[in-house]
Amino acid sequence: MRRMVPAQARDVLSELRRGVLEHCVLAVVRDNESYGFDIVRTLSRNGGLVTSEGTIYPLLSRLRRDGLVTSTWRESETGPPRRYYRLTSDGRRALDLFNLEWHNFRTAVDAVLLGRQAEGGRDG
Amino acid sequence: MADALIYEYLGRLDAAAWPLPPSRRSELTAEVREHIETALSEAGSRDEATVRNVLDRLGRPEDIVAAEADAAGPAGGPTAFRAATQTASGWLEQAGARGWGGIEITAVLLLSVGGLLLWWVGPIAGVVVAWFSEHWTTREKRIATAIVVALVVIELILLAVFMSRMFSIGTSFEFGQWPWSTGFGLMAILAFLAALLPLLGGLAAGVYLAFALHRRR
Repeated sequence: MRRMVPAQARDVLSELRRGVLEHCVLAVVRDNESYGFDIVRTLSRNGGLVTSEGTIYPLLSRLRRDGLVTSTWRESETGPPRRYYRLTSDGRRALDLFNLEWHNFRTAVDAVLLGRQAEGGRDG
Repeated sequence: MADALIYEYLGRLDAAAWPLPPSRRSELTAEVREHIETALSEAGSRDEATVRNVLDRLGRPEDIVAAEADAAGPAGGPTAFRAATQTASGWLEQAGARGWGGIEITAVLLLSVGGLLLWWVGPIAGVVVAWFSEHWTTREKRIATAIVVALVVIELILLAVFMSRMFSIGTSFEFGQWPWSTGFGLMAILAFLAALLPLLGGLAAGVYLAFALHRRR
């Protein structure tokens, strides 16, 4: 039973990651266009948001299909042409909406976890 | 041996990806291959430890394909249907994966056969359409444009020569003499070249752009 707890915690974390990764990718290409490897690098740099880096490509493919990002091929100095991604106006809308929702969500979770509401209730 | 690891990994990925549509399957393999190459060139080393590290970070090929299935959603369609249509549309899907869409096909057609029907209008329209494509790089578009523009310039020079000959013939015109004795042969060659140049230019640019997409994967 003691072993089950960390395993479940990992599952929760991977579920959370899966839920937010899409919008984190959108945020990475919001201001600067970027190619697959570079997007992964940015996401990994910020606290291991990506565990298996290869799964970014299925995600990018879906974002492309949904019209949230668009891509352009560009020459690279060191290898074959690279596919650069940037946000579309639909993608920007989706990201803005998520920003708002995430803010509310985080505030709500923090409030419950830290017991602010409960304390406030007792005090008041 | 480090390369063998990469081949083995990509082979596993390709094998695991069999349920995907053929276009996406080859695109995914190409994306992951490119990722590996970029990671290795940034690492500045291709030894076994580096390769293993890069592949470990990528994750299991089966997990990547599983993420693809997650991402496909209902639009992915049933596997049986895909298998049935696979052979028929396989070629088209492969072409789609390389970046052949409506814009690219229109551009290459206008360039390669447009010159036959529309003289310069075809190739020039083809170049303009090509600039709207997302699948050619700016450099490739510039080269195709340069080919067509260069031949337009040659065409203009030819026409100028043609015109000046016309005028000189006009002023020295004597009955019975024209056109055989005043360089009619040269005029005919010039006219022939002028008619042929749009075809050649468009064809060269069209073939170049088609090969640019072909090399992509």
